[in-house]
Amino acid sequence: MNPIFQKAKLLSTVMAAALLFTAASPDSHADGKTEFSSLSETESAIEAGANGGAAISKSAESVRSAVDFEHELDSYEPLKDHYTFYFTYKTVHPWWDAVALGMEEAQRQFLDKGVTITYEYMAPEGASADDQTEKLHTAEKKDYDVIGVDVADEAIISPVLDEMVEAGTKVMTFSSSDAAEGCKRIAYVGNTHNYKDGADLTEALCQRLGYRGKVAILVGSKGAPCHEDRARGAQDTIAQYGDMEIAAVEYDMDSVDLAYELTLKILKEHPDLDGLVCCNMSNPVGAARAIIETGSRAVIVGMDHDQEALRYLDDGVIYCLGVQDCFSIGFDTLQVAVKIADGNLPGRLFPEKTDEITTVIYQADAAPMLALLYGDIS
Amino acid sequence: MERVRITKKIFMLTAIIGSLVILAMVVANTLWSSRQAVYATDEAVSAVSAFYLEAMAERRAQTITNQINNNFEHMEKARVFIEEEEIASQEQLRETLGKIKSLLSLNRFALVDEDNVVYTQYTTYTGRSRHEFLSREKMEDRIISAVTLYGSSRQLCLAIPTPGLTIMGKPFKACFVQIDMADIVNLLAFDDQGKTYFGLYSKNGGNLSGTELGPVISDRNIFDATEGLVPEAVWQETRDHFAKEEAGRLSFSSDGAAETLCYVPIQNTGWEIAVLIRESVIQDQIREISERSMSNSRNQIAFTLVATLVLAAVLLAELAALSNDEIEAEKKTSMTFREIANTDALTGVRNKHAYSEMEALLNQKIQEKKIQRLAVAVCDINGLKHVNDTQGHAAGDKLIKDACAMICNYFKHGAVFRIGGDEFAVILQNEACDALTEVLNALNRKVEENVKTNGVVVSVGSSVLTQEDRQLRDVFDRADQIMYERKKELKAMGAKTRLY
Repeated sequence: MNPIFQKAKLLSTVMAAALLFTAASPDSHADGKTEFSSLSETESAIEAGANGGAAISKSAESVRSAVDFEHELDSYEPLKDHYTFYFTYKTVHPWWDAVALGMEEAQRQFLDKGVTITYEYMAPEGASADDQTEKLHTAEKKDYDVIGVDVADEAIISPVLDEMVEAGTKVMTFSSSDAAEGCKRIAYVGNTHNYKDGADLTEALCQRLGYRGKVAILVGSKGAPCHEDRARGAQDTIAQYGDMEIAAVEYDMDSVDLAYELTLKILKEHPDLDGLVCCNMSNPVGAARAIIETGSRAVIVGMDHDQEALRYLDDGVIYCLGVQDCFSIGFDTLQVAVKIADGNLPGRLFPEKTDEITTVIYQADAAPMLALLYGDIS
Repeated sequence: MERVRITKKIFMLTAIIGSLVILAMVVANTLWSSRQAVYATDEAVSAVSAFYLEAMAERRAQTITNQINNNFEHMEKARVFIEEEEIASQEQLRETLGKIKSLLSLNRFALVDEDNVVYTQYTTYTGRSRHEFLSREKMEDRIISAVTLYGSSRQLCLAIPTPGLTIMGKPFKACFVQIDMADIVNLLAFDDQGKTYFGLYSKNGGNLSGTELGPVISDRNIFDATEGLVPEAVWQETRDHFAKEEAGRLSFSSDGAAETLCYVPIQNTGWEIAVLIRESVIQDQIREISERSMSNSRNQIAFTLVATLVLAAVLLAELAALSNDEIEAEKKTSMTFREIANTDALTGVRNKHAYSEMEALLNQKIQEKKIQRLAVAVCDINGLKHVNDTQGHAAGDKLIKDACAMICNYFKHGAVFRIGGDEFAVILQNEACDALTEVLNALNRKVEENVKTNGVVVSVGSSVLTQEDRQLRDVFDRADQIMYERKKELKAMGAKTRLY
């Protein structure tokens, strides 16, 4: 195992031990296959909030297991000694850099086994289904063993993938966005519960607001399945409560700057805004900047592990964040890609959808999460 | 001013108290010297430690600088190597990158094209969000930066621009390497020997190396860890040093132990390397040295104490002995003077002064009735004046000595005194009185013979103490009277005599 990740694992273990001493509770949940760790944490957080204190996570496991840096290849023996892959994802963004690190760790482990893997990992500067389509068509012409896609827009990309599969190209999806239901792609590795992530984050927000108030939703890239699914989850959750309303739904196109501007715009139009549901990694950062600037009391819930967002969480500007295990997504993607390249189909060797977890963390978890993911460089 | 008389007791007390005072001063002085030695040792160790730490920090800073420079040199070589290669495909580029990696030992060597696509031996990826230096609009010079990757891994990123480099018809803007900070830490730990702590820090005190700088600072931000440990001004000065990339030193106390760390800037990085020696090691060594020194001092004090006491005892004993000898000598001298004062210089028998002392003594005894028997014989030399006048004083003196010798010869058990020029008295006590008559008869016979032969003639009269006598003079007077009678008899026999 790469010593970097061994260190990260060690750090996570130490932090977990520290949290166990400071905040451990017997009712901490470990919900088996349930990826989202929210319910008991949310309850405790709401309880803390109702008492006027900061939200405190009762689950040390929530931090320790949020990102698993300790991976080893399974016992599968690749049929070839060299593979070449092409991966494309939505946009250039640190979230996918984290996924890349998981891939690189898997590549190193394959190399140690005598299997060389070369691959491309490409994205446009801004999310674009057209750009992704072009990239896929270009890649299709080359002799890649497998092409992997983090779907930018399921409506546009899914047909493209179907054509590629029909043409004999081995295609998989990965990261946070699968193709549309019924797409012929071979397998998916990543977040399979985006709708639930959105619903659970929104539920936490609703509880925090006492099921009463005006909420805005910042989505992400239009058509991006993960963002849209989370937004739907959020909308459906809010719809359950009569005293809650959705003031606005905006798309930041995975741009922090745009998220900031959109939040300012929403706050201008709805100065009495009570909450913001942020469905991607850039949303909560831009929203938090705007909230600080305007002095709004709107409560932010959002996604992912952006360092700035974690600091806002630590400062209490953001209420909670859903952190996805990007490293595992990357590692498992490469491992599944090798099996697909060897002609395997979902079944005994790998599932059709390899599920990766999302963990909701609160203010008390922010500092250890910052240390786990970014060290102590101030 | 009245002179104080020095007695033996005063002398002894002075000697003892003086010795104790001197001993106390010696002990106090030795203790003070020992403590001074410990303080001086501490200061010396502190100074040497600081110097040692500074040298160590500079050496490590130089190690990092060398490492960075070596990597830059290798990157330049790699750039030249790539330019000379005719690379027509991505596969060839990867092969070339593989060769460079193995030939030049460059970790994660990568090229970046004008679209910020990064090419490594195994991957090609869009890298603007991943590598901070790619966000810069222009890249005209070397770049050194520390990066923390997702997962807390810290790496040193070194990049150089590659103007004019075109591969597969595409311009390339830069190449870079990423060195794991753990490798640098291992490199720096080469002379550590587990006795020193070191850490690499960013300008704002963030720990880049992940190493522990002693138990107090540990792996925390150095400013967060030392705030409150040192005076505000010192703390602020250290911050300024870091900001201005200057060297310095920081001392603080923790759990009673003073600790000092030295920091020096690392050229062109904006970092500082800080070195802190394991305080317990120094403390243990100092303590060991101090204990040894104190033990030596204690032994020295004990030895000095014992030696001084022994010496003092010997000296006092010698002094006492000397004092006794002097007293004895004084007594002897006194007796000699007394003998001289009581002895007749010509004859060697006791003189008139001695007779007077004896007379006083006997008078007291007579009065106290403490004496049983006593006799006095008065002797007078006949013809001394005639000899002096006719033969000179030397002949007269000889006559006196001969007469004295004859008297002493006959009165062997009596005390003979010369009480005048030609007059002797003999005092006989107790048993010595028994043979008085016999001695007198013998002496008189001899004297009568000498008259005929013109020898020494002595007239002798004697008397014995009676119950009526109150003083010796009474006995003496009777004996003197008898002596006169005898002198007449001898004159009649033809002896020469002076006239009274």
